[in-house]
Amino acid sequence: MTADALVEFRGLEKEFSGTKALKGVSLEFRRGEVHGLLGENGAGKSTLIKILTGVYTPTGGEILLEGKAVKIGSPLDAHKLGLGAVYQDAELVNSFTVAQNVLLGNEHGFVISSKAVHDEARRIFSEIGIEVDVERKASTLSAAEMQLVTLATLFHRKYKLIVLDEPTARLSGKEVELLFTIIKSFLDQGITIVYISHRLGEIKRICDRVTILRGGLVSATLERDEISEDRVTELMVDRSRSDLDTENPGLAQDRMVLEVENLRTEKLKPLSFTVRAGEVLGITGPVGGGMEQVEHALGGIGGYEGTVKVNGKVVSIDSPVASRRHGISLIPEDRRKQALFPNLTMAQNICLPVLSTLTRLGLIRTSLENGYADGVMRRLSVYPHQPAKAVKFFSGGNQQKAVIGKWLSAESDVYIFVEPTSGVDVGAIKEIYDIILHMAREGAAIIVISSSVKEVLSLAETVFVIHDGDLVHAAPKAECTHDQLLAIAMRGRTSVAAA
Amino acid sequence: MTDTATAQGQGTPGGTVMAEKRDPLWVRFLRTWGTILVIVITAIGFGLSSEWFFTVSNFNNILFSMIVSCLVSMGLTYVVIAGSFDLSIGLTVTTTSIVTAYMIPEVGPWLAIVVALLAACLIGFVNGALVTYGRLSGIVVTLGMMFVLGGINIFMTGGYQIAVDYGELAFRYIGQGKIGMIGVPVLVLLGVFILAHLLATKTKAGHYITAVGDNPMAAFYSGIKVYTWVIVSFVLAALLSGVGGVILTSISSSAQPVGGQGYLLEAFAAVFLGATVLGKGKPHILGTLLGVFFIYMVNSGMNMVGFPFAARQLFAGLILILAVGANAMLNREEIHLKFI
Repeated sequence: MTADALVEFRGLEKEFSGTKALKGVSLEFRRGEVHGLLGENGAGKSTLIKILTGVYTPTGGEILLEGKAVKIGSPLDAHKLGLGAVYQDAELVNSFTVAQNVLLGNEHGFVISSKAVHDEARRIFSEIGIEVDVERKASTLSAAEMQLVTLATLFHRKYKLIVLDEPTARLSGKEVELLFTIIKSFLDQGITIVYISHRLGEIKRICDRVTILRGGLVSATLERDEISEDRVTELMVDRSRSDLDTENPGLAQDRMVLEVENLRTEKLKPLSFTVRAGEVLGITGPVGGGMEQVEHALGGIGGYEGTVKVNGKVVSIDSPVASRRHGISLIPEDRRKQALFPNLTMAQNICLPVLSTLTRLGLIRTSLENGYADGVMRRLSVYPHQPAKAVKFFSGGNQQKAVIGKWLSAESDVYIFVEPTSGVDVGAIKEIYDIILHMAREGAAIIVISSSVKEVLSLAETVFVIHDGDLVHAAPKAECTHDQLLAIAMRGRTSVAAA
Repeated sequence: MTDTATAQGQGTPGGTVMAEKRDPLWVRFLRTWGTILVIVITAIGFGLSSEWFFTVSNFNNILFSMIVSCLVSMGLTYVVIAGSFDLSIGLTVTTTSIVTAYMIPEVGPWLAIVVALLAACLIGFVNGALVTYGRLSGIVVTLGMMFVLGGINIFMTGGYQIAVDYGELAFRYIGQGKIGMIGVPVLVLLGVFILAHLLATKTKAGHYITAVGDNPMAAFYSGIKVYTWVIVSFVLAALLSGVGGVILTSISSSAQPVGGQGYLLEAFAAVFLGATVLGKGKPHILGTLLGVFFIYMVNSGMNMVGFPFAARQLFAGLILILAVGANAMLNREEIHLKFI
């Protein structure tokens, strides 16, 4: 251990019911450095961060903070130890002004003068260089502004280490520059930054060192001048995870199901594509790079321009209800907020889209409901096999299977999966892949939107890479290699091989 | 799905159950049966203190007196399940009662009932539409509606009660008739209870209302018409209150210009007491029925034993807080961040 190490992990292990997400990670974050963290989905990045911030407790190994072994049992412990994190979806108190948010929990005295609060916030903003009116209501902020303000709230909390998880996902070029200035002012205070990103350009610019995780182990830690695209790609790709190798053998039939012409949104340049019955289209790229626009448009969540045809008929999708009616099912990424009813039972969740088929004389037959849920749970091996248990008591992987199970027999023509295995234990990933391919085999047109190149390569027959709202690569899977796609996704330039 | 079958053979790796520590047997027992146990013990207590408590006529009295309150409470249950509040249901009873009494001389009893129930549905629809499409808070909208109805009631009656003609035998039969030992309104209540319970647990409407209340965002993404179901819940609440209003008119052969707020308070107590029945933690129709029954049983029992009115109020309030509090202790969530 070097003298200036702030946090050190020694042989850290984390096991999820038999599957090891971390297999003995040893690494250190030094005081006052920007430490990049790279790795594919499932490499253990988020598990490591969640252990650091007290969300998970490790099953083995130890954590040293400034040379002393510490136990981080809860997010509150992490906060007290000076370890903080900013996640992609920042939370602010909407009805408060920006200044009130920035100083929340650190107001001086009992009587709060709004002038003092605003002055203090202004001082912090000018110190770190954010130009946002501190008297605006938080609810009026754009996503990017919200992210910057969230960063500012950490400023005076005396954190020693701050984790930034994909901080530039929602930022424009100018705002990224601003973010880097803020990071610099954090560094001036001696705060350590752990920077998670898929964008190599940023990593190269801002990070002093970068650690690459692979399959739950540290693949390598590089100094800044050692960082190169080839090197990083090579270190990231996990060639040992053959147990997860699912491959799409080519299931596309001739029948055209989905035809999209010049699909355009504020953040997406005109995009045209078709998906045939049985075909799986994989879309990858950096988070926030525009691929999520496809899901918003087709799922009826955001507006779009252009023509969408399902089975040859032009449809207009202005709401999720319309999207379902035209035979498009969206399986969203954020299960907790967008897909599941935590207090309803597993059976009720699974049966929701097919209730009409489970009724006799207008009344829902419990026996039919349980029978149907039982079948789906068996088919997707949802465990434990208890249809009457509330969904909130199931694990992430099983919740995701429930979400998929929910739409399994909704008999849609088009299924859109968004990050289908995010937050899922490694063991359940293959099962989910099998389910998706099985649906393709039965003739569904499927779009998989995922930031994991590996996932897209496992599932897709055709691969798109979308970067900065632009389709930068489109090719049949057979012509893509993992390293090439990863490079395109990180770099964002059209490769020579682009079709 | 042979692939999945093999994956399952590997010991279902994805299968951790989070947050499930097996609680001791007594905790699980109390969670499910605690509230009912309290009701039974209280009843036994009254039975020991008063020989008239456990008589058919007393229970008939209890059931009879709780009819209107029970209808209102069952209606409110839907709105609370959908995740909102309705403070106007008490006054809706009074308004429908007045409309019924007002219309009987004009169009005859049966059409008067239909008009009154339609008026109730309209009240519920306006509430629901303002809460959803109008983007207003349920508490504020229905509080406003409460005052509006209060005004309309005085306006329609001129401040005097409206009597129903004694010749309206058929109409009076609804509230005052008897089939054997049992009053007709008790049977109406029973019928409405069965329908309401089936609607909540066995129909698409009930499932969708529950889903909307549990996670509106997920319901929206699932392609459920969220606004429609919220409006439906408000209409149901108002409709059931309307049925209560019609029965009230029939029982008393008249409509009063003021009053009705009492039903609202009883309904809220009953709904939240009822949520603890069978350890569901969420309001449900059967629980609400038992909740109302408990409140009226305690009232009747304390009356018989001879407690003063003030003590009755105190006791009912304490029981409510205790029952709901004990339930919260048993169903402790990790972080408690909901304060309504």
